[in-house]
Amino acid sequence: MKKLAIGLYAAVTVALMVWGYYQAIYVAPNDAMQGEIFRIIYYHVPSASVAFLFFAISLIGSIGYLGFRRNHAGWAQVSDAWALAGAEVGVVFCTVVLTTGPLWGRRAWGIWWTWDARLTTTLVLWLIYVSYLLLRRFAAGPQMQTLAAVLGIFGALDVPIVYMSNRWWRTQHPAPVFGGSEGSGMAASMVGPFLWNMLAWFAWGVMILGIRYAVERQQQKIAAREAQAALDEGSLI
Amino acid sequence: MDQAAILDHQFRVAAYAITWAIQLGYVAWLGLKWRAQKRNAARAPRG
Repeated sequence: MKKLAIGLYAAVTVALMVWGYYQAIYVAPNDAMQGEIFRIIYYHVPSASVAFLFFAISLIGSIGYLGFRRNHAGWAQVSDAWALAGAEVGVVFCTVVLTTGPLWGRRAWGIWWTWDARLTTTLVLWLIYVSYLLLRRFAAGPQMQTLAAVLGIFGALDVPIVYMSNRWWRTQHPAPVFGGSEGSGMAASMVGPFLWNMLAWFAWGVMILGIRYAVERQQQKIAAREAQAALDEGSLI
Repeated sequence: MDQAAILDHQFRVAAYAITWAIQLGYVAWLGLKWRAQKRNAARAPRG
């Protein structure tokens, strides 16, 4: 039953991705000013939204780990697995943001990159979470998960700064399309394709987040079994 | 199509292709990791 539900979810997600692509390429009109290059928004903005959401999941997991680590070892491991999965999949989506953005910028602005507030804070966010993943990969010892949780919490502090950066400061990056100042927004003919792609990328993100979480939980169980076996061997000597 | 429209098209295609390369590359890496873990789990001592 569980396998059927997972298969069904994956099938719906793939269908949504195909539908989102169709909407972005064949239904949405070209932008009057930017032409076809505007269509990058249908991948760029949903990727940024999903990255923010998953960094928030990483934050909650990190807080959960610090809260549970002394009294509820099982819950702490679950929280830690969510923290890692959220950070890693968030980095994947943030990488998409940092590659599609410059491709758009090269055509729209004539430059690949500029050190404006939105771009710089996004790069810093990516670097923090890459550091988080490197810490988890190369640090050893019982303190590793605690250090990672603290770094995960600090990293998440950058998310609201990234989100607000083009509201707080004048930036080269375009002003917010949704929830921005008066006159912001999107043509009605583009809203549908945009929302379909938001839904599709959200569904895709949740799917790979779930896979990453399952992989990490399996890793934790193998590590626990190996640690127990080592203890058993030690007690026999 | 004029030159600017052709370039716009190429950049848009590049952005979409890179997005899918990153996403599918990550999923493939996860699949390999999962398979390696299954092998490790089979070898690991049973608790």
